[in-house]
Amino acid sequence: MFNGRINYRLPRNLLFVFELLALMLIFLYYRHTLNRITVIYSLALILLVYISNFLLLKITSGDNFIFLIVTMLVSIGVIMIYRIDPELGIKQILWIGMGIMLFFMTYLVFKRIRGWENWFLLYALASIALFILTLVLGTNIKGATNWIRIGSFGLQPSEIIKILAIFLIASYYTNHEKFTRMKFGKYYLLGIIYVFVLFLFLQKDLGSVLIFLSVFIALQFIYEEDRKLVLINLSILVVCAIAGYFLFSHVQSRVHTWLDPWKYIDTRGYQITQSLFAIAEGGFFGTGLGLGYPEFIPEVHTDFIFPAICEEMGIFTGIGIIMLFLILVYRGFKIAINQKYKSYRIVALGISILFGIQSFIIFGGVLNMIPLTGITIPFVSYGGSSMLSSFIALGILQVASEELDLDEE
Amino acid sequence: MFNIVSVIFKYIFIFIIYVFILSIIRLIYLDIKGIYPIAVNNSAYLKLINRKDTLPFKVREYYPLGDKVTLGRSNNNQIVIKDPYISKQHLRVIKDEDKYYLEDTNSANGTFLNGERVMDAVCLKNGDRISVGQVDFLFVNKE
Repeated sequence: MFNGRINYRLPRNLLFVFELLALMLIFLYYRHTLNRITVIYSLALILLVYISNFLLLKITSGDNFIFLIVTMLVSIGVIMIYRIDPELGIKQILWIGMGIMLFFMTYLVFKRIRGWENWFLLYALASIALFILTLVLGTNIKGATNWIRIGSFGLQPSEIIKILAIFLIASYYTNHEKFTRMKFGKYYLLGIIYVFVLFLFLQKDLGSVLIFLSVFIALQFIYEEDRKLVLINLSILVVCAIAGYFLFSHVQSRVHTWLDPWKYIDTRGYQITQSLFAIAEGGFFGTGLGLGYPEFIPEVHTDFIFPAICEEMGIFTGIGIIMLFLILVYRGFKIAINQKYKSYRIVALGISILFGIQSFIIFGGVLNMIPLTGITIPFVSYGGSSMLSSFIALGILQVASEELDLDEE
Repeated sequence: MFNIVSVIFKYIFIFIIYVFILSIIRLIYLDIKGIYPIAVNNSAYLKLINRKDTLPFKVREYYPLGDKVTLGRSNNNQIVIKDPYISKQHLRVIKDEDKYYLEDTNSANGTFLNGERVMDAVCLKNGDRISVGQVDFLFVNKE
């Protein structure tokens, strides 16, 4: 079955051609304001992506698809962002470059780390420290206090805490027996996760609450032997959801606009209705890059990048993105199934669920299928922290995809 | 002028994206085919380790081991590998009292266990590397 027909070159070259063509088109569109730095940066990115895909095939014995899929997603995203706002596009190119570097660094470092599954306390304390830091130093942007500003540089700690939380859950279930023997040991993880949720509530970052709890419940559902705990967790979630609805006015308005966006079309329903218009305007094949009006949607470069893509590149591209996420998550599950060591298995599962849930929530949100929560599409939306943390997660997934031999050391 | 180019390109983009997705799905499909179910709940199996993509003959990723398994080029072996460097009856692995023994059956090019040529029956342990012809196997025994 490996009779020479297996060939990674085809998708890699397709990606290369796609990026080159898109770049040409974009440069043609911005031909009056084009400068040399932009051209150099974008060509460097294309080269970096190509070389990384090539290199990865040589150095890894594990999965070769996830990075390929992700670079495709990243390319579609950056093209759209660049088309909406060239300045953000350049920044995004830099973020992607840094993300790919971080991916390789994570891959090389995490491969050599042993015994990380026993650092339960470290993950818990580090996350809580980051949460406190956010509360103290955080600045309020769009109703949520989840940013730390250092000079002109913004950082979203909850993106890093997501990964820490997955490690926390993994280290808990790897050493499950040790914890259950302790007094109240069963409730340690539950307690810590709900401390996280409390902090997120204080920051009014409800989108992140949803992500944390979904990942947690999914992993708990798979690994918890005491089924009662899953039930307790689910009921707390329901209580949280109801409390959130009555406590926060912006949650209420989100639900109202979800139920009937047309009633609030000139106020708080404006964004979602513009998003729906954009998707409808695009049709099957889209209007063509540069010929639509995606800038009518507020926040189009982050949360609402998906309708912009649908408008200018067609719903087929939109479906394509969803399919890419589908295979990405599927690969993640397969990596988890093939992995011999439980700790790596849980981490791989957690990361795949994270990607899946995050994209599901925001695709559902912009299509008005579920109430909108402001989170980014991993790898596609504009955003430094999100891009970097997603690439770190991908690097960890890449390590988990390999056949590891921990006993050798 | 730009508008025409943009309209043409949008079809090209969608075409490329879908060919990309399909080619990846095809690769994944080939990859899945490569996984022979190790869930035959046999505790011991041979795993192919040199993943050359250009081997001119068929070789599976996993071969479960039973009580007596013979490997060779001719079709009356349990494991048939049409490698020209493998003899018709090349080697056999015999299970005796929960231990697996590797024995070379007078092959022309020999069998190598961890780089050393097998002369007599040798006991296999988990992680041993068996080289025959152009392929390398890892002996895995989960007990």
